Amino acid sequence: MTATNGSTTPAHALYFEDVKEEQDLNVLMKGPLTTAHLMRWSSAMENWHKIHYDRTFTVEHDKLPDLLINGSLKQQFIVQLLKDWAGPLGWVWKVRYQFRSMNLVGEKLSVWATVKTIRRLEDYGLVDLELGVINNHGKESTPGSATVALPYRDGNPLPYPFIPPAGAD
Amino acid sequence: MSLLTEEIKSFIGMKTEEEVSCEPVEAGAVRRFCQAIMDEHSIYYFHEATEDTRYEGPVAPPLFPAYAFRRPFGTPDPVQERADDPEFDGIVGSTAQGLPPLPLPNLALLNGGSEVEFYRLARHGERIHATHKYHDIYEKEGRNGPMVFVTIQTDYTNDASDLLLRVRKTLIRR
Repeated sequence: MTATNGSTTPAHALYFEDVKEEQDLNVLMKGPLTTAHLMRWSSAMENWHKIHYDRTFTVEHDKLPDLLINGSLKQQFIVQLLKDWAGPLGWVWKVRYQFRSMNLVGEKLSVWATVKTIRRLEDYGLVDLELGVINNHGKESTPGSATVALPYRDGNPLPYPFIPPAGAD
Repeated sequence: MSLLTEEIKSFIGMKTEEEVSCEPVEAGAVRRFCQAIMDEHSIYYFHEATEDTRYEGPVAPPLFPAYAFRRPFGTPDPVQERADDPEFDGIVGSTAQGLPPLPLPNLALLNGGSEVEFYRLARHGERIHATHKYHDIYEKEGRNGPMVFVTIQTDYTNDASDLLLRVRKTLIRR
């Protein structure tokens, strides 16, 4: 399993035939996530919840151990990993995740995904993945799953806007 | 004792009026968003053809529409209004996303996660429209008693009513 920091533009084209079950995606590394990262994200989305930038309020009022990395930021990282892997021909159709535990300021996050099943449909293929976010202490905080659509090497491009396959989950 | 009354079940299917973002998707907001999530993919800023030719112009990140609803000019400023309130945690707006609150007072609220379906990326210049509804409300027995699971579905569309993404967020009340 290799890692990238994911800050550059991906250029690869991925086809359904390139994917195998139990294949790991390259891990997307983010962080260490400092107070500046959290403040920048709060400001970009104009969300003023103090547990992400006011340490005194977070610790003394909300009794939390430290500032929290936003769940809303972690979900962006998950979508980025999948989008970059799907490339310019693929489409991230579905993503599901649960916020099971906190991530604290200063942590380094590794966003991972593994192909679990591949499904060959008439017009294009579907790839089901398991995913999550692990911190630098090895703890999983955001388990989830996803479904990505990929074209066949000798097939038609995916429909855009995306049209889900009839009857498929 | 069950928390899920007939009154609470009657909220299923209830929806909001359509909400429209006060500003169209604009390059500066997209730049700040992309730099904050550390994803500076060329599809978000190049007007020329990129390696991804589907979009015919710069687009916003997939989840951007869910964050496009900002406080418009001329509306009350909750940050200033509550500046002297030591209990103010900085959360503004409704956790029920404009839906009428469920009659479940004094129950803690937890974010149980989300399921998102993507259909199209928002282009620069488009306004974002959103409609929220109570998609499902059900009860499960937890270790410490009953818990109510509330799924709120939000459809985000553009000016042409094209569906951009659908988010189903699950809130847990216990």
